[in-house]
Amino acid sequence: MPSILDQIEPLERAALDEFNAATGLIELDKARAKYLGSNGAITSLLKQLGGLPKEEKPAAGKRLNEAKSRVEALYSERREELELKAALPDEPTDFTLPGRRRTLGKLHPLTQVTDDIVRSFRKLGFAVADGPEVEDEYHCFDALNTPADHPARDIQDTFFIDDGSVGAPLLLRTHTSSVQIRVMQSQPPPVRIIVPGRVYRRDTSDATHNPTFHQIEGLYVDKDVTVGDLMGTVEFVFREMLGEDVKLRFRPHYFSYTEPSFEIDFSSALVRKMGKDWLEIAGCGMVHPQVFENVGYDPEVWSGWAFGFGIERIAMIRYGINDIRLFYENDIRFLEQF
Amino acid sequence: MKITFNWLKQYVDFDWSPEQLAERLTMLGLEVEDVEQVGGNYENIVVAQVLTKDEHPNADKLLLCKVDDGRGERQIVCGATNFKSGDKVALALPGCTFETGAGSPPFKIKVAKIRGVESHGMMCSGKELGLSEDASGLMILPEDAPVGRDFSEYLGPERNDVVYDLEITPNRPDLNSVIGIAREVSALTGNPLKIPEVNLPAMHSPSSTKVEELVDVELDDTELCPRYTARVIKGVKIGPSPEWLRTRLERVGIRSINNVVDVTNFVLFETGHPLHAFDYNLLDNAGNAAPTIVVRRAGDGESFTTLDEQEHRLTSDMLLIADEEKAVALAGIMGGMNSEINEQTTDVLIESAYFKPQNIRATSKALGVSSESSYRFERGADIGICDYASRRAAQLILGTAGGMLAEGLVDAYPVKHEPHEIVLRHERSDRLLGVRIPPKDQVDYMESLGLEVADSSIQGDDPTAEPAATSFRIPSFRVDLKREADLIEEVCRMYGVDRIPSTPPRGAIGTNPFDDVYDLIATVRRILTELGLFEAQGQTLISGDHAYAHTEKVTPLRNPLSSEMDILRPSLLPGLIDALRHNAAHQVFDVALFEIGKAFSMINGKLAERRCLAIAITGARYRPFWKNGQDTEVVDIYDLKGIIEEFLDQFGIRGVRFAKCAEESLPFIESAELSLGKNALGRMGMVSPVISRKNDIKHPVFMAEFDLEGLMPFRNPVRSFKPLPAFPAIRRDVAMVVPESVTHDMVLAVAKKAAPANLKGIELFDVFRGKHIPEGSKSLAYAFTYRHAERTLKDEEVNTEHAKLVQAFKERLDAAIREQ
Repeated sequence: MPSILDQIEPLERAALDEFNAATGLIELDKARAKYLGSNGAITSLLKQLGGLPKEEKPAAGKRLNEAKSRVEALYSERREELELKAALPDEPTDFTLPGRRRTLGKLHPLTQVTDDIVRSFRKLGFAVADGPEVEDEYHCFDALNTPADHPARDIQDTFFIDDGSVGAPLLLRTHTSSVQIRVMQSQPPPVRIIVPGRVYRRDTSDATHNPTFHQIEGLYVDKDVTVGDLMGTVEFVFREMLGEDVKLRFRPHYFSYTEPSFEIDFSSALVRKMGKDWLEIAGCGMVHPQVFENVGYDPEVWSGWAFGFGIERIAMIRYGINDIRLFYENDIRFLEQF
Repeated sequence: MKITFNWLKQYVDFDWSPEQLAERLTMLGLEVEDVEQVGGNYENIVVAQVLTKDEHPNADKLLLCKVDDGRGERQIVCGATNFKSGDKVALALPGCTFETGAGSPPFKIKVAKIRGVESHGMMCSGKELGLSEDASGLMILPEDAPVGRDFSEYLGPERNDVVYDLEITPNRPDLNSVIGIAREVSALTGNPLKIPEVNLPAMHSPSSTKVEELVDVELDDTELCPRYTARVIKGVKIGPSPEWLRTRLERVGIRSINNVVDVTNFVLFETGHPLHAFDYNLLDNAGNAAPTIVVRRAGDGESFTTLDEQEHRLTSDMLLIADEEKAVALAGIMGGMNSEINEQTTDVLIESAYFKPQNIRATSKALGVSSESSYRFERGADIGICDYASRRAAQLILGTAGGMLAEGLVDAYPVKHEPHEIVLRHERSDRLLGVRIPPKDQVDYMESLGLEVADSSIQGDDPTAEPAATSFRIPSFRVDLKREADLIEEVCRMYGVDRIPSTPPRGAIGTNPFDDVYDLIATVRRILTELGLFEAQGQTLISGDHAYAHTEKVTPLRNPLSSEMDILRPSLLPGLIDALRHNAAHQVFDVALFEIGKAFSMINGKLAERRCLAIAITGARYRPFWKNGQDTEVVDIYDLKGIIEEFLDQFGIRGVRFAKCAEESLPFIESAELSLGKNALGRMGMVSPVISRKNDIKHPVFMAEFDLEGLMPFRNPVRSFKPLPAFPAIRRDVAMVVPESVTHDMVLAVAKKAAPANLKGIELFDVFRGKHIPEGSKSLAYAFTYRHAERTLKDEEVNTEHAKLVQAFKERLDAAIREQ
């Protein structure tokens, strides 16, 4: 039997070779047990050290411990290497494969446009107001200076509710202007509100009409409010909404609840691309003194302006949508585009 | 309202191009909706005379002609046949080009062989010349047309015109006339308004008839008809109108009928005042020397046939023009068959009257009859112009149909119109417009529009300053001017809207209670989109057949457009089902939608309008992924519940209970009611497969609906920080077999009541039925977490507490504990 000293070197070499040759963790651990385990070859040599003559012990012990350290170091190194190797997926990863996507819902385009408009107005100190969609004739017409026999009532064909009663019928509001009246009746001036909401006209649905659509209305009542103020605010909001290159034009028009009244046309690169110089976009005017009197405001003290426009129209221009009915079909392929 | 450039120019001078005129009118408030060029470029077109007309040697449908173009003979191949040798025609010479409409290249006349024969030009139809719609044959020119003359020179100034289609706002009936529009142009340019002078021929010979001897007028109702005038012309010759009159009317879209009717239409367009011409001899004189025109209300049920051959049943609210025997016209709306102008008419009675707008409007609406005449009367005609319009018509009838005018006018006008006055405070105008406009300018604007100054010396506080206000007399044609604001609008228009400087936004901060609600709605939307739902917008009007469970509470329309849209939605669910149907029809089967909007219901005859939130999900739970192959899990009721729980939690609402509904109603086949305390908040459930199938929806559908406004008050968005746990937790699992009737909520309630110390969390991790579990029972497996905030718990103390809990389950839920 060779001496302990002579056994150290071949044993170390054999251990190192086996560790290096191991291709997996199991094989490596088997090899470890073979040399470093409690019954392993190196361990048993260590146990035999006690039987050596006293003078041989230090040198043999030193060499054996050094050899053991090297073997252990290689084991750790190999173990890490093989562990990392094992952590890799069994199959190769193709980073060009599609990922596992999460779905995020989207806000309806009409909501997005409404939110943008509301944000612009709020910068100027406007508060959002709301009112019922089923209205009475007083708030929708009479209080807005449009009496029953007024030809202007023809312009807006109205849906009436069949509530079984014989009295004045309820109706679906034809414009958000009815909320002007409700707000002014409920609070003293000054007033600074915007009203987004659904309105209804008895139009057969086609690419540009839907019996249901959305409007947004602005109302500002204060002392010494002028036509100039109206123009300044409208210009601010439309620039925010449609871009800095937007040009606006105010044309005299007629609405029964404002005097003077104007229609607003806008022009931009987009409009010119549509082959037009101007596109009609909104109506506005100074609140008619009769309207103020109807809600108990003194027109000698207070003046104000109102303006309103269709949200679908803005959304159609902004996104290049050519059929209003798309807004109400809720086709996912449409909704996910915005 | 249509008007032409040349017609307008007869009443006022302006040096604008047709494009500039359109721009000016638009900026005055007369929006130009359409501009149409009439006539065109007549370069290389001359007047020519047909010399010979022969058959084409090689074609049946073509003719071979020789024509004289003034310089020589030309051979022309022609397809039209409506002419003869000697006729004068418009000849397009080689080199002449015709526009063929948008998109197509222009068409150029060249010398060309047509079926083997050379043609040196083209003889033109009215349509090719842009002068009429007639394309059926050549336009034959009058005999006196000079051969060789440039066609454009021959036509003279009328050769080209521009027709404008204007949108006249309902408050300005005075603008439904050429003179009315000319008045606006005159005010803007300062050039005088040229109203045609009417000098009727003097007929004061002793033999001339006075109109009073020919007709009498009786007004039964002076409120509905405050003025009625009649004039008579005898011995007219009914026939076609002269060219100028036909052209004028046709260019503004009125069909020419005969000279007398055309004159009344011409005057209607010129002055804005509707007239009516009766055949005088068809008026019954009831045995008297002369007929009497009676303006009276119809009898209830009286029938009358208008000249469009429609018979109407009238009511006593409607006004008639009658003789003593019969009705002859529906006042202000349409004449009758029994008295209209016809080829045999020799004597004409011209009516020029004023009717109360509201009454004309009501009658026109009730009978469904409208006309150019009713259109103007219902908006408000000019009571002051009756006489002028009548004289103008007489002048033109005498000129186009001949005849003898009876002397004078029968003018039933018991209460003369007194112009009202309006005071304009100049400083008030400045304050409203936001620009200082000198009082003198303001007064000039008003005068240029035909208002008269009634008082120019109204002083303010400082008597030495300029007058503070001016009072104006309002002419009868401006029915829209009622108060000061209306005058300020006129100042604004005349000054020019584009000259008013805009001022940057300023002023009060607005407040409204809804402002916060708006933000809450936005929060709801944000959470739901983050949960993967798309926002939908459904129709408010739906079909009553789709109301499902809500049939007893629906809100019908009185005047629906169709049965597809005849009620207000009582719920948002039908709309979402329709959206799923639409998507399925387009092969989209995986859909997750929500909608926020109003729903309407009739409760005890009162209409309630609530803002609701509805959710609909169907189809794949996850987006397709290549590892899963074709197998995709579809959503079930717990996906919907998970969405709702997460939404409520994020929105700040806790303690919502889900109680299974004892009775189901459509659209659900199985559902639960959501409530908080005693408040019902909404409902969620699985949609009946019958509905899914009917709508071709492939996978099960799950829906929920909430009363969103009812939900908002329960929101507690306040979040407060709890220290992170510092000591380890101890977990104890319990699996228990319980009867099916035991719900998760009941387990939680028992745990809550047993209240073991330090219990911090309860989590259900398995529900199992089947092997080893008796029929009618199920196994529920829970993990209970115990933790103390300030120290590490000992096993023994947890065991004691946990044993109490397990005991409670056994006793209260009849639970059998399964050994681990």
